[in-house]
Amino acid sequence: VSPAEDCSDGVDVAPLRTLEELECHCQPDYVQCFSGTATHSSIQAWRSPWGCRDSLPVLLVSWVSWIRAQRARLAVCVLPASSQGTLKLRADQQLVKKGKSKVGDMLEKAAELLMGCFRVCASDTRAGIEDSKKWGMLFLVNQLFKIYFKINKLHLCKPLIRAIDSSNLKDDYSTAQRVTYRYYVGRKAMFDSDFKQAEEYLSFAFEHCHRSSQKNKRMVLIYLLPVKMLLGHMPTVELLRKYHLMQFAEVTRAVSEGNLLLLNEALAAHETFFIRCGIFLILEKLKIITYRNLFKKVNSLSSASSRYLLLKTHQLSLDAFLVALKFMQVEDVDIAEVQCILANLIYMGHIKGYISHQHQKLVVSKQNPFPPLSTVC
Amino acid sequence: MAANVGDQRSTDWSSQYSMVAGAGRENGMETPMHENPEWEKARQALASISKAGAAGSSAKASSNGPVASAQYVSQAEASALQQQQYYQWYQQYNYAYPYSYYYPVSVYQSYGSPSQYSMASSYGSAAPQHQGPLSQPPVPGMDEGMPYQAPPQQLPAAQPPQPANPPHGAHPLSSGPQPGTAPATQHSQAGPASGQAYAQHTYSEPAKPKKGQQLWNRMKPAPGTGGLKFNIQKRPFPVTNQNFSSTTEGQHSSFGPQPNPEKAQNHRGNLSGKPDDWPQDMKEYVERCFTACESEEDKDRTEKLLKEVLQARLQDGSAYTIDWSREPLPGLTREPVAESPKKKRWEAPSTLHPPRGAASATRGGGAQSQRGTPGAGGAGRARGSSFAKFGNRNVFMKDHSSSSSTDSRSRSSSRSPTRHFRRSDSHSDSESSCSGNECHPVGRRNPPPKGRGGRGAHMDQGRGRAQRGKRHDLAPTKRSRKKLAALECEEPERELKKQKRAARFQHGHSRRLRLEPLVLQVGSLEGGTADPDWQELQIVGTCLDVTKHYLRLTCAPDPSTVRPVPVLKKSLCMVKSHWKEKQDYAFACEQMKSIRQDLTVQGVRTEFTVEVYETHARIALEKGDHEEFNQCQTQLKSLYAENLPGNVGEFTAYRILYYIFTKNSGDITTELAYLTRELKADPCVAHALALRAAWALGNYHRFFRLYAHAPCMSGYLVDKFADRERKAALKAMIKTYVKLRSAPALRPSAPASGPAQAAATMSPPPPVRSALVWTRPLCTAVPCPPASLCSRQPAPPASTPCPGPLPPRPPTSPALMRLSAPVGQPSEPSLPSAPVASGTGPRALVRAQMSVGTSVTGKRGLTAPKEGALCPG
Repeated sequence: VSPAEDCSDGVDVAPLRTLEELECHCQPDYVQCFSGTATHSSIQAWRSPWGCRDSLPVLLVSWVSWIRAQRARLAVCVLPASSQGTLKLRADQQLVKKGKSKVGDMLEKAAELLMGCFRVCASDTRAGIEDSKKWGMLFLVNQLFKIYFKINKLHLCKPLIRAIDSSNLKDDYSTAQRVTYRYYVGRKAMFDSDFKQAEEYLSFAFEHCHRSSQKNKRMVLIYLLPVKMLLGHMPTVELLRKYHLMQFAEVTRAVSEGNLLLLNEALAAHETFFIRCGIFLILEKLKIITYRNLFKKVNSLSSASSRYLLLKTHQLSLDAFLVALKFMQVEDVDIAEVQCILANLIYMGHIKGYISHQHQKLVVSKQNPFPPLSTVC
Repeated sequence: MAANVGDQRSTDWSSQYSMVAGAGRENGMETPMHENPEWEKARQALASISKAGAAGSSAKASSNGPVASAQYVSQAEASALQQQQYYQWYQQYNYAYPYSYYYPVSVYQSYGSPSQYSMASSYGSAAPQHQGPLSQPPVPGMDEGMPYQAPPQQLPAAQPPQPANPPHGAHPLSSGPQPGTAPATQHSQAGPASGQAYAQHTYSEPAKPKKGQQLWNRMKPAPGTGGLKFNIQKRPFPVTNQNFSSTTEGQHSSFGPQPNPEKAQNHRGNLSGKPDDWPQDMKEYVERCFTACESEEDKDRTEKLLKEVLQARLQDGSAYTIDWSREPLPGLTREPVAESPKKKRWEAPSTLHPPRGAASATRGGGAQSQRGTPGAGGAGRARGSSFAKFGNRNVFMKDHSSSSSTDSRSRSSSRSPTRHFRRSDSHSDSESSCSGNECHPVGRRNPPPKGRGGRGAHMDQGRGRAQRGKRHDLAPTKRSRKKLAALECEEPERELKKQKRAARFQHGHSRRLRLEPLVLQVGSLEGGTADPDWQELQIVGTCLDVTKHYLRLTCAPDPSTVRPVPVLKKSLCMVKSHWKEKQDYAFACEQMKSIRQDLTVQGVRTEFTVEVYETHARIALEKGDHEEFNQCQTQLKSLYAENLPGNVGEFTAYRILYYIFTKNSGDITTELAYLTRELKADPCVAHALALRAAWALGNYHRFFRLYAHAPCMSGYLVDKFADRERKAALKAMIKTYVKLRSAPALRPSAPASGPAQAAATMSPPPPVRSALVWTRPLCTAVPCPPASLCSRQPAPPASTPCPGPLPPRPPTSPALMRLSAPVGQPSEPSLPSAPVASGTGPRALVRAQMSVGTSVTGKRGLTAPKEGALCPG
């Protein structure tokens, strides 16, 4: 009863559809779906005393203990329920927010409980591979990711990633689960500034996300776009339009044009959106790319003119950059800051060359002074 | 002396209790116990017993007759009779009646007072006690009981436990200012009083066993659930009956362990309060509980649990404050309560400990034997257990190490001492005079509910007394001393500070809440533990010290060591000035921490709190103590979130800067999300944001420029990571400016633009120096420009000896190539061309720099100046 046959359901929704639905009962508010593997009618044995409205943590606790007690290959069946619980927890959290207690409290509790589930699943070494609880691992990990991202504790993801990476089932989980997993791991890599890996994971998520899950694809794109842009791949307007991500349009244009001014405006205009998505700081890094593009323009201009004047084309006056920056309305720029920016670009490999301080010149390589972005990062 | 007193008291109590028991019986008789269908089952199960009990009750009068009847007939007489009776019983059982001499006649007289019955009602009217402790020499318990004794009087009893507080106020120690203490004392007081009472009972026990049994039996029909029933029934009488019944049961249980299991004096001093008094919510809750029961067992269990819980709640008064509608049903808790000790941490003393349960079981067994009905036995057991538990508790409180009944006491004992002490304190102050009577703990509050303790005491009669005596001796221990000290402090100043105090206590309602909470009863369930209402646990301090050592609290705070806000304000001023003068961080930090602690303990969240935290944050910042700083920041964040005025901008800026320090981009994002426009306009925040932007882009120029002009104390924070950023900047600069010399990356094919000379002519790159302008603010020695940079200085002629080995280089060496490049146009300063190869460029340079001692020579290099790059110079 491997859940592997699951069609890819997208990032956020991962019910184990192929599993037989055993129970759809309980408090509709809390858990709508309680499905399990076909062979385990024991699930039905577990009827929570939910007559009274326990708080969700209590419910989850009982879940966990119940799973543990069953020892059977139940992992998978409880998962959907707990996912529901998680979602509800989030709702609860909204309430909490209005009240007095701290925002992350409920979520942290939920995470603890899920973690308990996860341990149970991960330590299930006795069951055969077909019905091992390990099939539930990835789901739980994804749920945990969801919470950790919500409460901003990304560092807690690391052991989970390691656990999954070392799992031999890694590639056999359902596509839906894998997509979700990669989505989160990709995001994490992005926040860790590991853009190469982020691109890889997010691209996987985007490509394997079910085509009908436009919303999920959009979510992936939100993070994939900045990463791609940082790596020098600018999205087309069509793509942005398709996924209703036109907030990126201006940004994209500004970056590719090296239009610092426009970039600043675009970022400011959609700041709320970007901050909410958590990508504002990533997009900010595009400024570096924009500097690079801007300076590339300066270079081509000055080299053109210098060629015209039969001057050396690989030496560029720093003043030219200063003028360019001022043109972009960067506040109180001076030559020292120009040098600073150039130094960073050179340091990062965006420009091949060096600065001659004495001559106040940037000396660039004659070949390919501005290597393609994709080769740099 | 203390011991004696205690004994005396105990005797008094015993008499009282016996009285009570009798009353209970009567009441029980009178009241139709069960109206609720729920009870039916229980009733049926106990029917046989009940009948017997009823008969017994009446009969019991005969059997116990001496005692009970005497009591009822004339209280005054009863006392005497009781004594005799007890004595007799003792003799019967071969019990040593060591304490007989303790019994003061007066005590018995006290019995005459109507208050005898009152014992049962823990909450009873505390007020009466205080009002006339002396007037009514009789035991405090009696005072409490007063209301209960006479049905009409019960109404007063109906008053919630809180009313009891006023008496406190009357008492010097318990005086309003110490509301905080009050809560703690409540338990202790109640506990001890009852405990004593019971202990004394023990004497009578031997004789009374039958009576006790009878009572008990009767009670059963009533529903061992007594408490519950009573809840449902709102009559005052029934309530009392129940209480009594429960008490009697408890006694039974207590007796179980003892040699004479049978003697059950059923006077339970501690009736947890009359059902009438009970909040409606609670009654409903009880009803719910029973409705949920499916089987007899369930009911029994529920009953038992409920009793415990309710008693505890009533005793500590939380019954009136908690939301019963949210209280989990006992069924859920069942197992946890019985089995998991850990939950008890905060439990009200009343919660049962497993061990007690065992003890109770034994008692129950005893009861059973008497009753003869098995079904009843079960119920009895349950009750017994609960009572036993209570008893234990009380015992502990009294310090009786009642070994006989239960093992579980250890826990309770730990707590009890403090309570006990408190009581004793109160006693010592006001009531030492009352010799025979139980002047006892009454002082502050109604000793009310602690009937339980009494039961426990029972079990340990002899020992208990001895210990009790000890306790008394010890009584003036820490707490008492503290209190005394506090009192002393206050008294001289009292008049002067009346106003202050008044101000302190203006929040009367809050005070009340505080009183009860000390119990720390999260009690019943997980749900409870999840969110103890800390609001209610707050206290108001009475300490007047300006300075105070910081000690992390490991227990409930003692108001006598907690400073009220006005004092804290002084404290803060003192710390500030001290800091300004002496810059003694250790001192300042400790004082600030203790101020913070006092604020926290008292739940003070005002502007002043903000000021304290801000001050501490600044001091910590200045000293680079970021643990403290972070703690303060966390608190400040939530304080600001409550819209308390403060320097929001400043500390938001610090927070942003701190996130930069931790490189926590996630938190920065969150922080950014919450920045309002106004906040962004704040100079500090704006600066922090600009700094952040500069930092994010590696714009060290801007970064250090901002650093140089950091507002407020931002600079201290930037200090933390300025070095880090400086290093990063230097790294970039090294890579960027270094080119000149040894770029090995140059491919042979790449024409070197500049002749070596040109290179040599390049002025020493001040670049680094100039670049390091940004580092100035640091005042730290600017790290010497990397060797590579220095190397840019005009190289000495080739002839200059190079320190390092000069391996001949093939002409193809990049450097050579560069050097060999055709001399450029003299007019234009020729610069070495940038590396062509993308991959090799900068890094290679760095590497080259790293390799010390390599020198670049070329064919023409001989004439060419040697690249200084590699020369150490």
